[in-house]
Amino acid sequence: MTRRTPQPLESYEPLEPYPPRTANLADILERILDKGVVIAGDIKIDLLDIELLTIRVRLFISSVDTARKAGIDWWETEPALSSRAARDALYDENKRLRERLSELETTGDHRHTRPKEPESV
Amino acid sequence: MSVPAYTAPDETSTLATCAFAVHLAASGPGPFPPALSGHAGGGEPRVLDAGELALIVQSVPAAAFAGEALAERLQDPAELERCARAHHDVITAAARTGPVVPLPLATLYLDDTRAVAAVREREAQFTRLLNRLHRRTEWGLKVTSTPGAQPPADRPAGETDRRRSPADGRAYLDRVRGRQRDREHRHEAAWRAAERVYAVARRTAVEARRLRPQDPALAGAGARQLLNAALLLDHGTEARLRHAIDQLSTDPAIADQARIELTGPWVPYSFARLDEEAATDGLQ
Repeated sequence: MTRRTPQPLESYEPLEPYPPRTANLADILERILDKGVVIAGDIKIDLLDIELLTIRVRLFISSVDTARKAGIDWWETEPALSSRAARDALYDENKRLRERLSELETTGDHRHTRPKEPESV
Repeated sequence: MSVPAYTAPDETSTLATCAFAVHLAASGPGPFPPALSGHAGGGEPRVLDAGELALIVQSVPAAAFAGEALAERLQDPAELERCARAHHDVITAAARTGPVVPLPLATLYLDDTRAVAAVREREAQFTRLLNRLHRRTEWGLKVTSTPGAQPPADRPAGETDRRRSPADGRAYLDRVRGRQRDREHRHEAAWRAAERVYAVARRTAVEARRLRPQDPALAGAGARQLLNAALLLDHGTEARLRHAIDQLSTDPAIADQARIELTGPWVPYSFARLDEEAATDGLQ
């Protein structure tokens, strides 16, 4: 089966097109993360555990695919799925807390000063 | 090809060489389609000579990939999809004119010279592998259980159940056991169907491998993936595989239990293993 000498380029029939655009993301990921020849690179890539990453990825792919068909991009703002969204969520929460704090401080001042007023009069 | 210039020593402007695939120098991919841009923020995909072989690479900002940077970016599903498809697109484009050996996502070198050296070190192995993959493509074969598979015809479920008195404890237990048996039968029948599909389909292939079953979430509610496999096919024999799958899909013994899905053609990712990897592959 093994051919030592590849056939000349001219005889290479054009392939029927690969499906890069339509291919399911899970199918792509299991191939590009798990498969292919590994020749150690120079630069340390910390991809966590490939298997863990793949599992995590698979867990939300089906939802992502379904959502995309429906034109929804909820994951962009879902803290559990997006680090950017997580930062945004933190920022929002901070903002809300600040607002609440200043609100409390204002009403607090109000309450503090009010009882004193009758005394001073 | 020239080594990318190191403009400054700080991390943000340091470039690294990201490798995508190895091919035979004689069957170079020619000019890439203009729309092919590789990873965002990097240079254009280009070809490096490595003796009898050639290597498809792209200069990318090292800071975006090294250490935990990539892992962090990939937390974002949209970014993950962009990276994955960028990698897959370059490899796919390269495979149009000849066999390629795909490298996994984010295979990174300090510069072009180091990338070429890594490939040349394994020149003989790469050449053997490329010749083996020549004029062959990978096809994905998935079998998924049908969620509402029919219970076996010999058990008239429901009807007899309703005739019995609800107070009849023995009848209740019988019903529970009966349902349990039905489930087990369906389960076994589904697995048998999947095994038959694999056995028949692999006869059309040069080589076949089982892949890890994908997460149940992907199969849909109540369904489960019974088989996830990759087949390596000679060019021109795809019709035989399709014919075999069509026949299996219309066979009631299989159609009642499971759904068969064929994907491809793929670059032979699942069969791109150097000799030593193939020898120690536990999955086979």
